[in-house]
Amino acid sequence: MILLLVPSVFGQELTADEIIQKVNDQFNTETSYGKSKMTIVTTSGQKRTFLQESWSKDQGEKNLVRYLEPRRVKDQAVLMLNHADDIWMFFPRTQRVRKLATHAKKQKMQGSDFSYEDMGSGDAFIEDFTSKRLEDEQKEEQDCYKLELTRKEEGGSSYSRLIMWIIKENFLPVVIEYYDEKDPTYLLKTMVASDFRVIDGIPTSMKVVMYNQNDNTQTEMELLEVKYNITLTDDMFTERSLKK
Amino acid sequence: MKKSLQLLFVLLLVCGSLAAQEKVEIFGYFESQYLGTNVQSKFYQLFSNKLRLDLKSDLTDNITFAANFDYITYHGKKEWNILDFLSPDIISQVQPGLEPFYVLDFSNRTFLDNAYFRLSLKHFDLTVGKQQISLGTGYVWNPMDVFNIKELVDPTYEQPGHNAIRLDVPVGNAYTITALYSPDDTWKNSAKLIQFKGRISHFDYSLIAIKKVWRFHDYAQFDYEKMNFLELPEQRRLLGASTAGELFGMGVWAEFAYNWMGSTDNFYEWVLGTDYTFDFQTYFMVEYYRNTLGKRDFTQYTLNDWMRVFAAEQKTISRDQVFILIQHPVTDLIHLGLQSIYSISDHSVALVPILNYSFSENIDIMAYLNLNFGKEGTVFSKTMGNGGMLRARLYF
Repeated sequence: MILLLVPSVFGQELTADEIIQKVNDQFNTETSYGKSKMTIVTTSGQKRTFLQESWSKDQGEKNLVRYLEPRRVKDQAVLMLNHADDIWMFFPRTQRVRKLATHAKKQKMQGSDFSYEDMGSGDAFIEDFTSKRLEDEQKEEQDCYKLELTRKEEGGSSYSRLIMWIIKENFLPVVIEYYDEKDPTYLLKTMVASDFRVIDGIPTSMKVVMYNQNDNTQTEMELLEVKYNITLTDDMFTERSLKK
Repeated sequence: MKKSLQLLFVLLLVCGSLAAQEKVEIFGYFESQYLGTNVQSKFYQLFSNKLRLDLKSDLTDNITFAANFDYITYHGKKEWNILDFLSPDIISQVQPGLEPFYVLDFSNRTFLDNAYFRLSLKHFDLTVGKQQISLGTGYVWNPMDVFNIKELVDPTYEQPGHNAIRLDVPVGNAYTITALYSPDDTWKNSAKLIQFKGRISHFDYSLIAIKKVWRFHDYAQFDYEKMNFLELPEQRRLLGASTAGELFGMGVWAEFAYNWMGSTDNFYEWVLGTDYTFDFQTYFMVEYYRNTLGKRDFTQYTLNDWMRVFAAEQKTISRDQVFILIQHPVTDLIHLGLQSIYSISDHSVALVPILNYSFSENIDIMAYLNLNFGKEGTVFSKTMGNGGMLRARLYF
């Protein structure tokens, strides 16, 4: 979700740190709401569709995701606080809330090509990686900054390296390549963003596709509805709210 | 059976009518299951079909009504003689003439599992009616949970509803006080619970006090008036604590409960667990459980111990055990896993290879084998039967 909810800032000649700081700052509006459809194309070519709602507060520090469809996962919910350092999952069938450790971020979200890490923790690009500016390039017909992000020694990411193409006009990442934890030359996944629109004055990519080169699968995330800077109370981001 | 079908028909009619008015959300699942096991050179098969119908309605902004109706049919071998699974020295403790009563009977069932309404106001949630009560942080065993005993092979299966009045009062955003009253025949015999939940740094914790009558049976004596084994109810008072969090990147949880019993010996239980997801997506979990109600050695097991475990009156028969789970997504649709439950007390082990297959968006298939490797008389002895299960569940 966070990859889709990106507002805009205009940049001049900037260093890698300044660019990634702007991307990071824009990932996290004060509050946001999104309704999205996730379509997984499996190895056998079948399609699986999930519908979900998500709420975010305090520049992405608090996140709540609730599944609406399919029936199998309806009302399952995930609460992430402290930039996803604290995660709770609610299972409606057993009415249980389970506290998950941060290693759970590596797990695939509902079997998709997005991990929980890909979807949350908006400050990970700065906290977990050092960035280096590469030569600017055209990507997906957009004039882009190109950055290489290398995981810090103490970084908690399960990717060793990211290559990121960022649209100069609005600082939206249009393509991100994710490289293997151990082998920084081994490409695992590629994310491609498209359908850029301005919502509530904020540029937003309405569609993101994650291509998994390793498994030969892909997952499309499409924003159906999005609102920025709405009123959300802290009560929404509690275990009590998770169960509702 | 006829009454069950009539009840189901009326329920479907009412639900259909309410759903047509968009007042009630109707969903649920249909589950078809095959269980086969080899016991004393005979292969037994039990088939079951379960229809679970869930209703949910937001009556107002603050009041929610929810209910589940279960209809289960059994086919194949519907009566299992428990004595078939026990060693000769345990069977010798059975009083002559009582043998026909040591039977697990799988009769068709129709029941209202949960039916409650919840009033949610700014300062509290009040839930009244039959509801699931989930306590503790343990994955397989929950020392704090005096209401439920989880299935060893499938601990995430839903638990039955309990009649109760529950009040949850949030204190700030990180703390909750819960009070629960579950009525029995008298106020004294009714269950009372109070729990405080909070958070310190990245750890959740809870403190709990429970008073409840534990309805044990003496499976060596028969009450001919009630045509059942003799009931030995006694008061149980429990103080417990639990926590869940993260240490060195690994998930950790612990749960402890001390039980003061009315007439038998006091006992304690504790659980310690940890889990981790490797970068190659393999998930690993281990959970250790001690229950001092269990015995240190399998030669101490009695007929009562076995029967209380079969009747889900107590969690374990052996004192110390460890559960291990390794699971890996072999494709985006198939997860393969291996569970192992090892009784440290009697050195027996069960291995349970598991396959989970997401057949379609709303159909899950689960299959497992249950292989026991203990010697005769132990908790996972070969006489407990080696077999497997295949389950398909369709959500609607």
